[in-house]
Amino acid sequence: MNYSEQYDVIVIGGGHAGTEAAAASARIGAKTLLMTQNIETIGQMSCNPAIGGIGKSHLVSEIDALDGLMARCADLAGIHFRVLNSSKGPAVRATRAQSDRALYRQAVRSHLDKQENLDIFQQAVVDLIVKDQRVAGCITQMGLAFKASAVILTTGTFLGGTIHVGTQQTDGGRAGDPPSNALATRLRNLPFRVGRLKTGTPPRIDGRSVDYGCLEVQPGDDPRPCLSALSHRSDHPEQVHCHIATTNATTHQIIQDNLESSAMYSGNIQGVGPRYCPSIEDKIVRFAEKSSHQIFIEPEGLGTQELYPNGISTSLPFAVQLAFVRSMQGFENAHITRPGYAIEYDYFDPRDLQLSLETRAIQGLFFAGQINGTTGYEEAAAQGLLAGINAARQVSDKPPWIPRRDEAYIGVMVDDLVHLGTTEPYRMFTSRAEFRLRLRQDNADLRLLELGREMGLVGDVRLQQFRAKRRAVDALAEKLRGDMVFPGSDIDKALVLNLSRETTLHEALKRPEVLPNDLVRVLGLVEEADEQAMQQLAIEVKYAGYIKRQDEEIAKIRRHETMRIPTELDFASIDGLSNELRQKLAAQRPDSLAHASRIPGMTPAALSILLVHAKKAASH
Amino acid sequence: MVNPPQDLICAIASPPGRGGVGIIRLSGDGIEPIAQRLFSKPLRSRTAEYVALKHAEEVVDTGIALFFQGPNSFTGEDTLEFQGHGSPVVQQRILSLLGDLGVRMARPGEFSERAFLNGKMDLTQAEAVADLIASGSIAAAKAAMGSLTGAFSQRVEKVATQLLDLRMQVEAAIDFPEEEVDILAESQVTIRLATLQDTLQQLFDKAEQGRLLNGGIEVALIGAPNVGKSSLLNALSGDDTAIITDQPGTTRDLLKVDLNIGGLPIRLVDTAGLRDTEDQVETIGIERAKAQAMRADLVLFISSVEQPLAAAKHDLDVLRAEYQIEVGENPDALTAAPLAKVIMVRNKSDLLTEPEANLEADLEGELVAVSATQMTGIKTLTQKIHTSVGLVHSEPPFTARVRHIRLLASCSESLRSGQQCLQQGQPVEIVAEELRLAHESLGQIVGTVTADDLLGEIFSKFCIGK
Repeated sequence: MNYSEQYDVIVIGGGHAGTEAAAASARIGAKTLLMTQNIETIGQMSCNPAIGGIGKSHLVSEIDALDGLMARCADLAGIHFRVLNSSKGPAVRATRAQSDRALYRQAVRSHLDKQENLDIFQQAVVDLIVKDQRVAGCITQMGLAFKASAVILTTGTFLGGTIHVGTQQTDGGRAGDPPSNALATRLRNLPFRVGRLKTGTPPRIDGRSVDYGCLEVQPGDDPRPCLSALSHRSDHPEQVHCHIATTNATTHQIIQDNLESSAMYSGNIQGVGPRYCPSIEDKIVRFAEKSSHQIFIEPEGLGTQELYPNGISTSLPFAVQLAFVRSMQGFENAHITRPGYAIEYDYFDPRDLQLSLETRAIQGLFFAGQINGTTGYEEAAAQGLLAGINAARQVSDKPPWIPRRDEAYIGVMVDDLVHLGTTEPYRMFTSRAEFRLRLRQDNADLRLLELGREMGLVGDVRLQQFRAKRRAVDALAEKLRGDMVFPGSDIDKALVLNLSRETTLHEALKRPEVLPNDLVRVLGLVEEADEQAMQQLAIEVKYAGYIKRQDEEIAKIRRHETMRIPTELDFASIDGLSNELRQKLAAQRPDSLAHASRIPGMTPAALSILLVHAKKAASH
Repeated sequence: MVNPPQDLICAIASPPGRGGVGIIRLSGDGIEPIAQRLFSKPLRSRTAEYVALKHAEEVVDTGIALFFQGPNSFTGEDTLEFQGHGSPVVQQRILSLLGDLGVRMARPGEFSERAFLNGKMDLTQAEAVADLIASGSIAAAKAAMGSLTGAFSQRVEKVATQLLDLRMQVEAAIDFPEEEVDILAESQVTIRLATLQDTLQQLFDKAEQGRLLNGGIEVALIGAPNVGKSSLLNALSGDDTAIITDQPGTTRDLLKVDLNIGGLPIRLVDTAGLRDTEDQVETIGIERAKAQAMRADLVLFISSVEQPLAAAKHDLDVLRAEYQIEVGENPDALTAAPLAKVIMVRNKSDLLTEPEANLEADLEGELVAVSATQMTGIKTLTQKIHTSVGLVHSEPPFTARVRHIRLLASCSESLRSGQQCLQQGQPVEIVAEELRLAHESLGQIVGTVTADDLLGEIFSKFCIGK
């Protein structure tokens, strides 16, 4: 039976990718439907209860600059905020919010409920409607057919999900939820390369059974940062502490003695897990010389006693989990509320995607989130946003938006995925961004907001907030350009400039040793808005030289981007390249010289040779 | 399609070595201001101008400047040819001046590459251009690294390893601040940066004081008395060659002669003065001299066909064994360089009625039969000398080395900025940026290192896993 409404865009999945995709598509004005197995779990955080962190909060800022949900919801649900890397520089500075799961879900849900152009429907999807290599809609469990011009799949770990606890295996997309096996089977018949990945979660613990007195307290920051430019710290709910526990020799012995019963080590799991998020079994085997590991004890929320012990994800049998948890100081009487588990799931090789996140094989079908081999709420949300934008743009015959590597972390991520693929769950790190100094949290709005406005994503409130901020920064810059400082003057002394001739405060601010707080003090600024403007201006002034230097590098890369490598070029037959490079080229099939230049071991001579062959092949 | 701007490149276009005319060619955007600066006069396209090339009011060279405005030029870009005097020293000076003005040393085949890409060459020539780039870059790498004492390439490798390790630590500290990794204290970064700079500096010292910028390679003549070393020397320095300098050896009893063999500048180290002696002090000196000679880029081991080949081989083996013992006693990394390439020269081949059975010499080097007096086999020997130092294509070794050294210098420059940033108390992300740029420069020599490579290093070294 056909559903009566025709949609522009259908989003399948109500997780972080799906909700962001649906909201973005609807904001742009496309008639959008969000399909989910369960409306109650929309916006569910399946793993650790935190949003942000290094590299990740950069993505969140970009989502925020495009008026997405994540930053705003994390502020409404955040119960513990920290700034990371605060002394390491503005570009790598990051924000993280421990979040109350229930509050976060509510925030997402209420946001979607208010969104125009967006319908939600609860039903498992079992099939896609595909005609002539073009998607036309989807079919639900009860046989309902929904029609749309574009479909975005954001099925997370639900495709062919298998949960492992010790030697036991059950089908599931998340503990307590069924996997999407019908859809997985159907998708495996489409022309996509499929792989298996693995991830894990720790056992959850009842906080009432823990002796906090033995644990190191980790309070949140004061003053508290916000993730969204639209938030104020008064939006935050009640705040709580986190704690740090440690494993010990007994813990390690218990795990060591039971390794063969771990799903990871018994050979039951084929999927590849992330190297940066190893299970506790992995840590003990691979880093045997370490006698102790830190475990971060994170509260699950204000309305629950449950704790999330970050750092002991495991697929050991339940009895072993209980034994090693209880071996830790403060956890002698711990009660486990939910066992830890490993989950294996299908992902689709992201090299089968275009940079718009539309699949190469089926027009109008987009993939976003963990289905593309990534991990993390933020990575998923950022892809969802991009897929939502591009699906909606396609429906109205507009070209896709392809964020560039020097423009946004979203661009870095998509470029990495589509060009290099991934062999482990892909997570964002700031070191992935070669132009890290320009991709800062503080300038995400400057990089993306006006563009988002043009695309119809950004609302009036957001735009006004941004313009007010820029006006304040510009006005301050203007003032500092006019403020002269003379040798021997009070300001010269107060700032320890040791001037030999007069200069402007703007010039003085360029010096590394002159801090924005010094100028705030000297100028007697008291308003928070003025202080923020000064902080912002200081970053822009001090980094201008580095940014300019990078501009030249970027210009060169753009030139390489315009040099396309024809798909039919046979890399194996090119003389003068090392075997190793030939193999890498054949595997990665770069489509431009810029892409080829990012292959490890690439040399200028090899690039030149490629270029000459590419030009020859192109003219045939 | 309008081509995007191309950076300015330069190279010596005339054959390597001393010649009547030396041509330096430039191609790319921004030639005119540079010409104005060097010649103090504007150039007109397609017009030959007699100019004086000046640096800080001093005339470096005089000659003819030819400017071609793109697209009507060999490469299709703006090009400039300066035809000056063919002295390697002057040409090198000009290249160095151009480098200071931001002109990049062209990679092998890069002029042809640009000509091809700009449609100035037939598509059928694509393979040839690609081959030129490929073989040229191999030859250049060999010339810049391989043909010299292994110390150069060893040190470049060392810099690459140290830099990767430092970046790994810094990036780990940035991306995993909450992990129990051995986060580098600032003092540690400072020390490591200093170590890196030291390694680079040693490299420059060797490179610049020594023969690297000189352009020559060092060839040692070794052999028993009366095998014809002197006549071979004369034969080698035949028509197109002249003895340039005649300086006493810096090391006891070694005679060093600068020659130009078929366009390749060579410093010949003649061990003719080495003789057996009872004097203990002198013996030690001679041993040292021998060992030093064996560390030349190339050894010509000369024997006469009057002595059986097997015996000559035995002598060489003895020499090698002695040399290796010397290395064992001296732990300095520089002298532990691999043994130089050897060409075994069988002289006085005119004394034989038929050629010696061409026994494989069992050496890394090769076997050449010559008659120094009859001038037979000399051409083959010259070619073998050229091949053994990687001089296959037109790029003179010193240009290749200058290019490599420029890249290393820019690597060093970035490291210096990094050190400065640390001293100024700049945030670590700025230091990391300078390290990235240093790695980019080095990557032009040793190949790109990607973020994934770095992360791989981090994950294998540290237990990351909150």
